[in-house]
This record gives sequence, C-alpha cells and structure tokens, in this order.
Amino acid sequence: MLEKGKISSSQLTFLIAGFTLGSSLILSPGLVAGHDAWLAVLAGLGSSLLIAFIYTTLAVKFPGKTLVQINDIIFGPYLGKLITIGYLWYFFHLASLVLRNFSDFFVGLIYPETPIIVFLIFITLTCASAVRNGIEVIARTSIILLFVTACATFLTTVLLVKDMEFTNLLPVLDLPLKQFIKASYAATTFPFGETVVFLMVIAFLENTKQAKPSVTLGLILAGILLVVASVRNISVLGVTEPIHTYDSYQAVRLINIGEILTRLEIIVVGNFLAMGFLKISVLYYGTVLGTAQLLNLRSYLPLVLPIGILMVILSILQFESTIENIHFAFDIYPYYVIPFQFGIPLFSLIVAVVRGLPKKAKEGSK
Amino acid sequence: MIILLIAAFIGIALFEAPGLVQRKYWRELTAFLLFLVAAFILALLQVLGVKIPNPVKGIEVLVKYFLSLMS
Repeated sequence: MLEKGKISSSQLTFLIAGFTLGSSLILSPGLVAGHDAWLAVLAGLGSSLLIAFIYTTLAVKFPGKTLVQINDIIFGPYLGKLITIGYLWYFFHLASLVLRNFSDFFVGLIYPETPIIVFLIFITLTCASAVRNGIEVIARTSIILLFVTACATFLTTVLLVKDMEFTNLLPVLDLPLKQFIKASYAATTFPFGETVVFLMVIAFLENTKQAKPSVTLGLILAGILLVVASVRNISVLGVTEPIHTYDSYQAVRLINIGEILTRLEIIVVGNFLAMGFLKISVLYYGTVLGTAQLLNLRSYLPLVLPIGILMVILSILQFESTIENIHFAFDIYPYYVIPFQFGIPLFSLIVAVVRGLPKKAKEGSK
Repeated sequence: MIILLIAAFIGIALFEAPGLVQRKYWRELTAFLLFLVAAFILALLQVLGVKIPNPVKGIEVLVKYFLSLMS
C-alpha cells in the first residue's frame, strides 16, 4: 500500500468543497452568462451532481482501488495503462494551470514587480510538503481552511450589502438559450467536473459506502458559496462585472465601512490562496500517487519534488501572458476536458457493468 | 542562474537519494533519477532561453480541429 492514511467522510466533504472552490474563487465560473452567472453556476452544480454520481458509483464498485487500478481492471493492462497516462497528464496539467492562475493573479494585482517564478516555486514547495505528508494531512487542513473561507465569503457579503443593487440581477434569463447553456456547461467543467481527481482519493475513505453522500454534500456546499459570491459580485459590480477578469477581488475591494474597514481584499486573497493550496495539493497528490502506482513503486515520496519541478516548468511554458491563460480557460478548456470528465468515466462504468466486473474485483482482492 | 539551478537539483538529489539507497529501493531510485534528469534538462533549456515546444498549443490545435468537425 502506497498510502497508509485514511480520511473520514466529513473530511472528504470539506476537501471536495475546498477543491471545488479552489481557483473558481478568483476566476468566477459562468461569466459568459453576464448577470445570470449565478443561475449558470446553479445549473452547472445540478449537472455536476449527475456526473459526480458516475464517479462515486465507480469508486463504490471498486472499494479501496484508485483510478489507476480501476483502469487496469476494466480495460486490461495495456489499454488501461494508456488511459491512466492520459489521466495523469490531465491532473498534472490542471495542477500547473491552477498554479499559473494563482501566480498570474498575484503578479497582476498585488505584486506587479515580482517575477512570477517566485510564486510558482513557493506555492509548489508548500504543496509538495503537504503531498509528502499524505492525503490525511491535506484532508485535515481542509476543514479549518474551508471554515475560514466560508466565514470570509459570508462576512464580505454582509459588509457589501449597502453597496448592492439587486436590480442588477434583473431581468432574469434575458439572454439566448444557447449562450446560457454554454455558460452552464462551462461551469460544469470548471470547477465542478474537476472532482474526477477524487477517484484517486476516495479509495482511502474509511467507509467507502459513504462516498456518495459526502461527495454530493461537498459539491453542494461549494455550489452555495459560489452562488453567494456570484450574486454578491453581480449586484455590487452591475454591468461592469464582465469587464473585470477577477471580479470577486474587484467586489471585495469596494468594501468601505465608514472609512475604517477598507482594503480588506488582502485578507480575502489569503483565503483564495488557501483554497488554491487545497486544489493544487489534491491534483499534485493524484499525479504523484498515480505515477507511482503506474510504475509499480513502493513509495511515492521520491517522485514529489521532480514532478513539482516539471509542474513549475509547464506553468511558465504554457502561456506567454494572462490573456492567453484566460483564452484557454474559457474557449479551449471546456472541450479539452470532455474525455476526462465525461467520456472515459461513463464508458468505464458501462464496460464495468457489462463485464460484471465488481464481483471479479472482490475475488482478486482476497 | 545556471549555478543556482544546478545547486538546487543537487540539493534535491542529496535530499532523496541516500534514503532510497539505504532501503535498497532501486526501482524507486531509477524513477526518481529519470524524472529529475528530465526536469533538469527542461529547466536548463528554459534558463538558457531555448524554445521548448509548448504542449498546450498542441491541445489548442487538437480541440479546434475537433470543434471544426462538429460544426
């Protein structure tokens, strides 16, 4: 066994919620829908619950098995390995995307003179230390970090109430249906569908049967927080909302209670980074553990730092500017993830049911 | 800059390798060294300013090709 830690179902719930909030706190999902973004997030949440049902059904069918082992069982050793390599690339790439998003955010708004590599290296080092300590430690930190972030989200919303114009939310659904579907689809793939990486984590759940309720609860928790943030941003910023790339940050900047409580954004940014830490750690952990299982290693620890360096390199390499990053996130990413988030999991489930695999897996594990 | 890079990689190797050798984890050591060497080569090329092919550009071309097939 590569990983000796066990996580409880409540830890899984908080970890999923924190993971889903991750980079969507800085890059709000559903922006294409304009002032109906919050509805797009709700629709995305609804459809993602269906997709999460596929993931959890797979995980419950193969208790104690990670995605790598599930692929091997379902597709055989050769095709399974190929699919696993595809997934490992996806987790690795997603981790470096999130890393880049956060570093771009910091360089663009808060530390304009600092080279981006500083943020990349320090965030990666923090996550590497978390990954070396195992999933149990990451899961335990998630409870505290998520609690603080939830408080911050509600507090900033309350402090902004006097600046809110709820008429900004009207007229509801005044946009072409196609555009709304596109926005809610984008919200499904980013952030909710990314929970596919939890197929690497659910294996370490103490009681696998609780996977379904805890994953669903985690997604709903994150969805509520995202909708609150989205309604806050739209009602505060109004028509200018789509102009701002980082609209949550922009909204929080406007907090001004009697000239005393101002410039609170820096506290909130700390929370954003905490959620980003959770997201990168889980993805990083998934990549490293998956690679170790693929190569049949007895320990995943030696791979942590080399893969982290590769992640930093890809982060720098992949985009030349923030604009390219945003273009990729909105125009390419929703289609790029189709095989990873919907295609292969659904296909795996169908193949598993047709071949009657869970029984065989039980015999094998004895 | 290059000296700093080499120092960092040697530091990582010294941090991980002795434990692996002690426990006779040869397979793990090979995998570790392979990944580390790959990372070192890529990092060195980047520091030297050599253009490395960008995999994300490839993904973009692929996705756009499939989208054009759909419509």
